[in-house]
Amino acid sequence: MVDETIAGDAGVQEQGRHAVGDRSGRALLVIGVLAVALAATALFSLTWGASDASALGLVRSWLFGATPGDEALSMRDSVIVYDIRLPRIVLGMLVGAALAVSGAVMQGLFRNPLADPGLVGVSAGAGLGAVSVIVLGATVLAPFTALLGTYALPFAAFGGGLLTTIILYNVATRQGRTSIATMLLAGIALGAMAMALTGVLVYIADDRQLRDLTFWQLGSLAGATWLKIAGAGPIIILALATTPFMAKGLNALALGEATASHLGVPVQRLKYVAIVAVSAAIGASVAVSGGIGFVGIVVPHLLRLAIGPDNRYLLPASALLGACLLLLADAVSRTIVAPAELPIGIVTAAVGGPFFLWILLRKRGVVDL
Amino acid sequence: MIEARQVSVSIGSTRIVSDVDFTVRPGELAAIVGPNGSGKTTFLRALTGELAFSGKISLNGRDTAKLKPWEAASIRAVLPQSTALSFPFTVREIVKLGVTGGRSGALAGEGDRLPERALARVDLEGFAGRFYQELSGGEQQRVQLARVLCQVWAPVLDGQPRYLFLDEPVSSLDIKHQLIIMDIARDFARRGGGVVAILHDLNLTAMYADQICVMYRGKLAAAGAPQAVLTDSLIEKVFGCRLRVGAVPQANIPFVLPQSAVA
Repeated sequence: MVDETIAGDAGVQEQGRHAVGDRSGRALLVIGVLAVALAATALFSLTWGASDASALGLVRSWLFGATPGDEALSMRDSVIVYDIRLPRIVLGMLVGAALAVSGAVMQGLFRNPLADPGLVGVSAGAGLGAVSVIVLGATVLAPFTALLGTYALPFAAFGGGLLTTIILYNVATRQGRTSIATMLLAGIALGAMAMALTGVLVYIADDRQLRDLTFWQLGSLAGATWLKIAGAGPIIILALATTPFMAKGLNALALGEATASHLGVPVQRLKYVAIVAVSAAIGASVAVSGGIGFVGIVVPHLLRLAIGPDNRYLLPASALLGACLLLLADAVSRTIVAPAELPIGIVTAAVGGPFFLWILLRKRGVVDL
Repeated sequence: MIEARQVSVSIGSTRIVSDVDFTVRPGELAAIVGPNGSGKTTFLRALTGELAFSGKISLNGRDTAKLKPWEAASIRAVLPQSTALSFPFTVREIVKLGVTGGRSGALAGEGDRLPERALARVDLEGFAGRFYQELSGGEQQRVQLARVLCQVWAPVLDGQPRYLFLDEPVSSLDIKHQLIIMDIARDFARRGGGVVAILHDLNLTAMYADQICVMYRGKLAAAGAPQAVLTDSLIEKVFGCRLRVGAVPQANIPFVLPQSAVA
């Protein structure tokens, strides 16, 4: 029988500063390492490219003023580093963070590690919104593009993603229970519908639009400009900034919607905020870089293996690792077939596809259809 | 005090619970019993605010329909029948959710040790670092109980009694752990809290409950002290089988009752 004397002084096992089963220390360490790795990757990306432009020389002259030894630093180098590589790096980090964090939030929301915006049709919906603006922006949607200017594309993508997520959630969730089978199947259906409509738009597009569309659909950071960053950056940053406030709620949600509510989480409000934030982040990302797949599923999954599923650490770590991996993928994509370049979506799919299969083989229990 | 007045619940067009009146005073352990499909869990879900209902339910005089989730979480904790997870949380991380969710009421400085203390109470000492998904059903249920205990660690907080709602808390446990868990529930009540538990084992119910509410076809068939409620005629009416209360089996058939436990 349990009585107070037993219960009172029972085993507090300390291992160093952290109790057994408490992975917060390791999580903070991993976040620190990832932050350093991201900084290093960004610096590496700045110096790595088809051109031999010397970013280090630029950084040196920027820090210490131009020195006599730096005559080699030409106008060309400056343009390549500041106007081509730097915006591309900034955009890559924003998009990588947005994709990975959106994946993690969506997986928390649907209580399933396979819920990824790319897999369940949200990216396709966002793509439809974006393609509508590219193809119809000058004609049918002219008032919309005139009103929003630079923001027309990200907002249309946001709208498409939001609509898809809301439909998906309502179809897949009955009385607080999300059926993973229904979710994946509904995602396939919604994705197919969005692709069909996108196909119609592609069909009526003119030659110039068609070329834009093809590259954009494969996913690429090649078109990165400071203007695009000004359009998508604030949306992504705003959406990411809301996620730390969801972390505790998403943790409780892992126990089910009813239990989360019993733990004091305002579940409905959490769901609304999460859906809008994911749609905004995905919409803005898709608008600037097209469909870059698998980041949202691979990054949170790897991190859960390393630091556990606690969203207070998982979300910031996902942002850092997502940014880091996308920069590396982009470095590969712009040098592997230099001077041409491979769309980054091909790189992430080539790596992410086999990884996804590995998840399925390793943990068959994950998909309980 | 938990007060339910004329509570009815319909799901779709089917009425599952009709006009149930129910009162639990602080210090009491109330057991809800009844056959499968009699509306026990549905009624408990109405009590905990999971389902919409007609009628009125109040906790400590406050209308539950008007309580915010975080207010309700500081007054009562709820143990569901079973909880499956799709993410690899450790046992400690699950139990810790109870601490961060409600107001444990533990003394300052005790909060950090609370998960370990709660795990020891449910006889899961040393399980903190294990993965929840790798535990057996009974162990998972006890982890969830530890989480629930953390949420309302002090049965009385700021002079207000608090409550435990337990949906079949011992359904997948062996006899030793059934007794441990029921002792925890009774202890919570004795220290000034209130407990509502759905139970199937009539012997355990008779041993621990201060009040038994028998549900039958969505209605309250009987309520009161075990001696008054558990009669041959009620059991035949509600469960549809003729059993005799207090009859001892033939001499050569062994029987083991929880009441025979030696403290």
